[in-house]
Amino acid sequence: MGTVRMDRRLFLKAAGATAGAAATTQVACLSYFKKGRSAAADNREVPTTCELCPNKCSAIAVVEGGVVKKLNPNPENPKSRDMLCARGNAAIKQVYDPDRIKKPMIRMGARGEGKWKEVSWDEAFDFAAKKLGEVKAKHGPEASLWSSTEGFQEVFFKNLGLSFGSPNLVRHPTLCLASVNLAYSATFGTVPSFDLLNSKFVIMSGANRFESIITPDTMDLIGGVMERKAKLVYLDPRFTVTAAKADEWYPIKPGTDLAFILAMIHVIIKENRQSKDFVAAYTTGFDELAEHVKQYTPEWAEKETEIPARDITRIAREFADAAPRSLYYAGRRSSWYQNDFQMRRAQAILNAIIGNWDQVGGMVPNAKLPKGEFLFMPWDEPKAPRVDEIEKHFPLAAKGDGVYLKLRENVLSGKPYPIKAWMVYKQDPMNAMPDQAKTLKMIEGMDFIGVIDVAMSDMAWYADVVFPESAYLERTDPVEVMAGIWPAVVYRQQVVKPIHDTKPNLEIIQGLAKRLGLSDYFDYTIEQWVEAEFKELPIPMAMEHMKKHGVWAASGKPTYGKTLNPDHRFVTKTGKIELFSQRLQEAGYDPLPAYTAPVQPPDDRFRLILGRVGYFTHANQSNNVWLNEFMKENDLWINPKPAERLGIRNGAMVEVASSVGKVKLKARVTEEIRPDCVFMLHGFGKKSKMQSLVYNVGASDAVILETAWDKVSGNAAFHETFVKVVNA
Amino acid sequence: MAMKKKRYALVLDSRKCINCKACAVACKAENQVPVGNTRNWINEARQGEYPKLRIDFEPEQCHHCEHPSCARVCPTGATWMRKDGVVLVNYDDCIGCRYCMVACPYDARYFHEESGTVHKCTLCSHRVDKGDLPACVETCPSKVRVFGDLEDPTSRVHELLATRRYRVKEPQTGNGPQLYYLL
Repeated sequence: MGTVRMDRRLFLKAAGATAGAAATTQVACLSYFKKGRSAAADNREVPTTCELCPNKCSAIAVVEGGVVKKLNPNPENPKSRDMLCARGNAAIKQVYDPDRIKKPMIRMGARGEGKWKEVSWDEAFDFAAKKLGEVKAKHGPEASLWSSTEGFQEVFFKNLGLSFGSPNLVRHPTLCLASVNLAYSATFGTVPSFDLLNSKFVIMSGANRFESIITPDTMDLIGGVMERKAKLVYLDPRFTVTAAKADEWYPIKPGTDLAFILAMIHVIIKENRQSKDFVAAYTTGFDELAEHVKQYTPEWAEKETEIPARDITRIAREFADAAPRSLYYAGRRSSWYQNDFQMRRAQAILNAIIGNWDQVGGMVPNAKLPKGEFLFMPWDEPKAPRVDEIEKHFPLAAKGDGVYLKLRENVLSGKPYPIKAWMVYKQDPMNAMPDQAKTLKMIEGMDFIGVIDVAMSDMAWYADVVFPESAYLERTDPVEVMAGIWPAVVYRQQVVKPIHDTKPNLEIIQGLAKRLGLSDYFDYTIEQWVEAEFKELPIPMAMEHMKKHGVWAASGKPTYGKTLNPDHRFVTKTGKIELFSQRLQEAGYDPLPAYTAPVQPPDDRFRLILGRVGYFTHANQSNNVWLNEFMKENDLWINPKPAERLGIRNGAMVEVASSVGKVKLKARVTEEIRPDCVFMLHGFGKKSKMQSLVYNVGASDAVILETAWDKVSGNAAFHETFVKVVNA
Repeated sequence: MAMKKKRYALVLDSRKCINCKACAVACKAENQVPVGNTRNWINEARQGEYPKLRIDFEPEQCHHCEHPSCARVCPTGATWMRKDGVVLVNYDDCIGCRYCMVACPYDARYFHEESGTVHKCTLCSHRVDKGDLPACVETCPSKVRVFGDLEDPTSRVHELLATRRYRVKEPQTGNGPQLYYLL
């Protein structure tokens, strides 16, 4: 190891990339690549913005003979760090996928039977509008549910739901990162970004950043760990790629991360290692916190987490000593346990007391950019209360996003009122929600289901009418402003004309609106919408610039410390960073994160854990032919010890059963997982025959996952399922 | 003006590889590689027993050898080397006999069914000649690969090889591979 370190130092010296100059090096790199690219005369190169995941990376599409041939990274976007991942590169196959929905389709047989009739757009619109009208007449507009995932054209879908009169919009956050957002908002009044480019000490748990690629975090962290001598401490029951790259990996007992964090806070406060000036000037509730964590000793935490007390103590010291260039990373990820909000709160508090707020290498509040808004005709607010009763059960949660699993419970019970129509945009609730049998039951209860999607997802497969949306390379979308350490504006413009009879979402919404008598609210074109947005951007010749470059970055360098003045008011009740939260107390929650041990699986069961690989994020990506090549089916990771006890051999078929369902898939007997857990990858075992590469191949985690949610945010808790594994 | 001698090479910092496969898909698109074939790939080495474990990734492709055994065995001279060191196949001359596939110590070649010829990594010479980077180098999220001219003392590859320890694969073959793996 000694020689390797030596070499690394020499290299750093030669490259001039000292830690302080890291940001400058990045900028220098960008201008180097900018020079290199020139558009050949007969080749069309169109800058656009990737849509394969939520990162919004900038790409340059190379078109030859009207066909998208290649997507190159666009170095002008500082957030996407001059790269395109496997998914981004494979977006070409989203367009030229033989499984694509080529025309609107209306269901002929039973739901899910797969008998379809290709119809004209008029027929599809008429059919859907008639059905939606019937539900409205019989049960009121609130009997319709509008669910969607974030996307540049999602706004039109949401607006149709609202103008139709339904309060029931439900979005992805509670199947994703709602708990993280809420916990950081409750503490800091905002959700910050994490400056991994400059951090020297990073602790990560619950996020597998080298396989769940987020820009610029993944790139900055690998550079930090491998080139800039940052230290990465990583907790995960599974030996992931992130674990392989970490300086220290601890296979923590699942669900006990909160104990680890509380013990770290205990050590830091006991040894007086907190940032005293920062705590005094910007936070409230430190004394209560100090009293509260007295009980959480490292020795106690060792029993909970199975991480040695001496390591917890040492990590806490190293973490505090590296401040402010140290951080406990939250980042984008899902929720795993029912205490997820409080676990995230504890992280936020730990970050707060070492004073990494708004510091180089710490947490940085997002810089924002202004954007114009197209002014459309407003509608009356929907009158009915939300069907998920979010205000009653999750008073602090984001109302506009809804709470997915509680919503499903209420729809199934018909209380407080029935939901009879379900419109879905760009989302696959069949695979995104746990407990697929319940989702199927919900589907059964619907008088009408309409799905707008690029591909025939499992949800679309169970719909009554499917509206094929044009792929992102075939569309012009609204402008997106990306807040962050590296704020930028990105633009997605049409690269090629739709190759099938598909439409962009706005035109689908307009087709429906026209027949629902709501045309006045959608009386504009995408060009008008975009033009209004361009107008207020702080960019000279905004439209020309965006069409030519596809992206505009605010500045080459981030700014730090804007909020670090004594007059700054945080957007919290006290105007301070709230270590102790009165708001939580008043809402009936723990004002300081209190630990309760998670229930552990009985001897004959395993905890099912989930995750991603770098080339599959969303359920639909396993059906992309260029990505599917890397993994044709998913398997069940199981440690050799329990495998031997159960007589399970590597590659043999096993049956995995929970209280809600069972699946069959191949076993992967591997040392890379704790003996009390099993793991499977998301996105396989599809029911849709138009996901032909993964139809009935492997298994869908949604079938066996049980319904559980975080108590405060309502975020689905994906690691609360115990399964039995036997040879099939 | 006398042309300066060039020697293109790739220097790889495998420790930065996260096995995300971006290089493989970028190559697939750029070079229209059929599904089922690949011009670049990532080797995985997994070792240890829970909880003492290790995974190493190692991206690989044609090594563009200085003395390529594939060219030596080619009966028609279809496989040839450019002055800048890039080893290419002239498809017009390739008879699809596949001797080269056997001779390659790295298994970097595949038989292209549609054309009946043997294909492999071209170091994206069509891009390089325009001043662009090879697709795999450009797209890599963690910037594992560094492409450049070893004869240029100001190049990053030159500098890396001057200041870092490295290895090449299968040096005993005498092929003189030009993929340099940093240690």
